[in-house]
Amino acid sequence: MIMVSQLLKRYGNITALDHVSFSFNDGHIIAIMGENGAGKSTLLKICAGILPFDQGEILIDSYSIKNNPLAARGMLGYLPEIPEMYERITGREFLYYIASLRKQADAAERISTLADSIGIADALDYEIGGYSKGMKQKISLLAAIMHMPRNLLLDEPIYGLDPLAARTVQEFIKTRNGTTVIATHSTHLVESIADTVHFLMHGHVIHSNTTQALLTRFPSIEDAYFHFKDQK
Amino acid sequence: MLETAQIILKDLSRGFRDKLRDSPFLYLFFSLMIVFSLAMFAVLTITILTTHLWVTEADVFFFVFFAFLMKAGADAHKLYIVAPQMSYGLSTPASHRRTLSNILAVILLINLGIWFMFSLLFLGFMALYRVPLWYPVEYLIFSLGVLTATILGFTITLHFFSPHPLRLLPSLVLMLSYSLVQTPMFVALTLPAAVVQGACALSHGTSSYRYVKRKKRTADAQYAKLRGVLPSLFYREVTTLWRERLFGSFVSMSVMTAIGTGFLYLHGADLFLPPALHRMMGAFLPSLFAFLGVYVVVLYTAVFPALNLFLTEEKTLWILQTVPVTAEQVVLGKTSALALCFLTAIPYLAFIPVFISIDQLPFLAWFLTFSFLISVMVAVPFGVKYVGKKSDILLLYSLSLILFVVLSLVASWMNMLYTARDGHIIILLVLMLLFATCGVFLSLKISIRLLRTSSRLS
Repeated sequence: MIMVSQLLKRYGNITALDHVSFSFNDGHIIAIMGENGAGKSTLLKICAGILPFDQGEILIDSYSIKNNPLAARGMLGYLPEIPEMYERITGREFLYYIASLRKQADAAERISTLADSIGIADALDYEIGGYSKGMKQKISLLAAIMHMPRNLLLDEPIYGLDPLAARTVQEFIKTRNGTTVIATHSTHLVESIADTVHFLMHGHVIHSNTTQALLTRFPSIEDAYFHFKDQK
Repeated sequence: MLETAQIILKDLSRGFRDKLRDSPFLYLFFSLMIVFSLAMFAVLTITILTTHLWVTEADVFFFVFFAFLMKAGADAHKLYIVAPQMSYGLSTPASHRRTLSNILAVILLINLGIWFMFSLLFLGFMALYRVPLWYPVEYLIFSLGVLTATILGFTITLHFFSPHPLRLLPSLVLMLSYSLVQTPMFVALTLPAAVVQGACALSHGTSSYRYVKRKKRTADAQYAKLRGVLPSLFYREVTTLWRERLFGSFVSMSVMTAIGTGFLYLHGADLFLPPALHRMMGAFLPSLFAFLGVYVVVLYTAVFPALNLFLTEEKTLWILQTVPVTAEQVVLGKTSALALCFLTAIPYLAFIPVFISIDQLPFLAWFLTFSFLISVMVAVPFGVKYVGKKSDILLLYSLSLILFVVLSLVASWMNMLYTARDGHIIILLVLMLLFATCGVFLSLKISIRLLRTSSRLS
């Protein structure tokens, strides 16, 4: 469970997130949508403990990301929008590295199973520097999910993936139990898997609702997004 | 025509402006260090002129030549070989040769800009000492040397990362001819040959770009396994150093430094001092060369890797920020990799006894260990403070100057005491090592605290 209350984030004079509050519950898949620069990635980075924030509080399974960051990070998996990794180590070495830092004893089995299912097993012994964008995305995704975190923060999770891998990722997200927060532009992904959608604009939440309610009212999530955007 | 050059220059200048805004004190420090070193070069030049040391115009010329050769090589690597943004320029209808020419133009502009700026500053200091400065022909030859060095540095980098390394041969032959002839005029006259080689490199440059970006399979799968937090941080650092072939180059540099400074230890006085000065300075020079050897060895086996532990974490810091590791674990795990770097400095001690008397070896071994510890002590907090900022060359240069002053003072005092054969010297040497070790622990504590504030690690 992730609780965000009255979160304020400023970059100099620009307010990226203006006192936003969310409650991302267990077993839910939450989509954050909005135009470029709306604050989606900033929100995820703050929740993951990468970016500092000016005001507010974030609790990851009741652990404050500010006061108890180690415990909070232990409950999290995070996939960045642009997964930059160490170029001179192989995909396999990177995954074992992350597993070692997370003290994950059953990593070998998980890496092998997940790498097979996502279609990266053949490339695990190549240096990451030679990977394509999609391959980097797959390795980064594996690093985020292989410890089976209760809370998962995914920034554009299927961007750059081939159709089979994208479907595998969607199935994985659908079948997991914890909280999954996805920042995305893909209305198709939102319609397929999200339970709740939050539309973000200039650091404000302009509308929140369940996907089902939105799809009852509008022909598609895209139409719903443009409707609330134009209203604003 | 110069669209790629314009965009690179814009990118570099905005990056520099942002760095100035982010870290004004650091850049003020860099500027002071550059002005200080130019003033020191001027003082050194005056000393050479007044004492009639046998340091020739050619010695200075080749020092300048190699500095710009290395800078051009590093620039070509940064702006082209490992620059992912170049894929945009290379994918346009503009010919690859033209895009590469633009990059060369930028490097030429930067190097010549630095040359004219620094040389004028140097001449300004010289003018303050009332030294006559009217040497237009020499200045022209030096400028042509900088031009030649820049083109050759660019060429060597392009061919070094090419699938056809034999293309390096003409450049190496040219360099060999410089070491045989050793006159600035000769180097200046080879500018057309360097231009021809540069043109050849421009024609084959794309293959280097593709070659570096190829997929590299490793046979080290068995080493990928679960470890403790500290060993895994250590292994990650060591793997990168190993795969970038830095350990090999450190070892070979240690050996070469031992041979070079050992030779100067034996023959430096004859090479640089006129007979009249032999009695006055003859005893001083060998110690100076032994010190310089240790200093150079610790620069690349301690200062450079210690800074890079954190400076290169620009885009990958998110990895450490999103796993449950503490700043203490990160600093200790990464810094432990420096122990292997220390091992690469040992070959210096193995080769130097060929040139020096064996009873001086314990002191040199002590000084190498002490210098290594002091270098780590100074470099790690700087790397942590500026984590992710890749202004490493300037930082490396500034730290080198600080260490030069500190280590030269320690070396001269301790050498005097050691030569006097005072019975308590052993105790003093051990105490100094303990002091340096305590300093390293303190420095690591400071680094942990700095990393906590700068990188949101616990």
